[in-house]
Amino acid sequence: MQEYRKISITKDEIVPTAERMRKAGVILAMIHGYVMDDGRINISYEYQIDDRIESYTIEGENVLPTISHIYDEAAAWPERELNELIDVTFEGLDTSKRLFMPDNMLDGQGQIFVTPMDELIEKVHGKKKEE
Amino acid sequence: MGYIVPIGPYHPSLEEPVHARLYTEGEMIKDAEIFIGYNHRGIEKLAMQKNIIQTMVLVERVCGICSHSHALTFAMACESISGIKVPKRGQYIRAIIAELERLHSHYLWLGIALHIIGHDSLFMHSWDDREIVMDALEELTGNRVNYGMVTYGGSRRDISKEQAENVLAMLDKLEESNKRLADFLLNDKTVALRTQGVGVLTTEDAIRIGAIGPHARASNVPVDVRIDAPYCCYDEFDFQKAVWPSGDVFARVVVRVLENFESIKIIRQALDSLPAGKINMGNKVPTIKPGEYMNRHEAPRGQLSYKVVTNGTDKVARVSIHVPTFKNAPTVPTMLRNNSVADAGLIIASIDPCFSCMDR
Repeated sequence: MQEYRKISITKDEIVPTAERMRKAGVILAMIHGYVMDDGRINISYEYQIDDRIESYTIEGENVLPTISHIYDEAAAWPERELNELIDVTFEGLDTSKRLFMPDNMLDGQGQIFVTPMDELIEKVHGKKKEE
Repeated sequence: MGYIVPIGPYHPSLEEPVHARLYTEGEMIKDAEIFIGYNHRGIEKLAMQKNIIQTMVLVERVCGICSHSHALTFAMACESISGIKVPKRGQYIRAIIAELERLHSHYLWLGIALHIIGHDSLFMHSWDDREIVMDALEELTGNRVNYGMVTYGGSRRDISKEQAENVLAMLDKLEESNKRLADFLLNDKTVALRTQGVGVLTTEDAIRIGAIGPHARASNVPVDVRIDAPYCCYDEFDFQKAVWPSGDVFARVVVRVLENFESIKIIRQALDSLPAGKINMGNKVPTIKPGEYMNRHEAPRGQLSYKVVTNGTDKVARVSIHVPTFKNAPTVPTMLRNNSVADAGLIIASIDPCFSCMDR
């Protein structure tokens, strides 16, 4: 079984952790985010260290610093994706262009996961899904 | 004076929708941008509405080419959360299908690349070989796409002795054919002229942008999850990472041809030493405990990562899918710089993109 280790960090530790990992030549496998049952946001930075994954997790923060200046597009694309999916902002990230969402759909940020399915369908197709 | 040349989202040289904007001076590309999202189907959102059995069926349909990879990685993450141990025979069968899928994906890409450079006879040769692989997949799974071979706790179908013998015979034929294809590709003047020195991605850039899979290995970055973090008994098979140093389109061709030999080697070993015993948990319904886990699989195009979060209900709280093209596509602008507009289609295709996977 591939090893997975979860480590809780604070918002201030995101950039120093990314710098340390980058210096050590560690690959950033994924930035993952979701809305927990209590409504708070969970963001985790998954670093691939040899045969294991170290998951640095932050809970309950809606504004985080970007690490795209450290990991280039390897961080910028996942950050842009999360910005469209959930209500999270990455300070310093260029979000002037959409990644997945069409330019004319919704307002472009934090919409896909938090908007109820029926409402999304209505906004895309202009009517409610027929039963 | 420079021009902006738009390619796509729908263009004859692209197999799937993506938009590239080329900033040119004369025939040369000075800079480029890439825009994605034309195939976004909201699969991650949809997965949160389905129960865990339905989600397995759903994720297998993220992509038609690497469908087994998606189902396998999702199942591995769920099994890791719940501590489910897959029987060894089940793991061997999973690895066999994964390698057949890699073969079929590599032959498919080789054919497309050869078609783009205008070498249609080699394109047909490559796709002819791919048919052998498709026949083998059909023999073992009953399907040519969406094999449905993965279930929680193992594999859905067993491999009989007769099926194993048939596939081994197919592999003998395929290996001979792959040798001939490798000989053509490595020595053909047309292939060399159109691919050598084209779309170079240096080792430094590959690491900086985070390229993975065969695309990274063609830039001399030796990453391969099958060896770096073994799963599905890959540590029991004798095979090597295919790495090539030149970082151009030619290197991407070479790496895939070499990987075909390695995949044939793995399947042969797995079929020859297929362990006896169960292939799955039988009729036992799996209990998915609350938790989270991230698992990785070396899909045909590179590392596929699934992070699954469960909350103790029959639904998943979140499935995060990070596919190889999502990692490799950002390298395209770097590769396009200082190449001619005529090579743009080939360079975009050289990462073996799957926009269906990437957009999800």
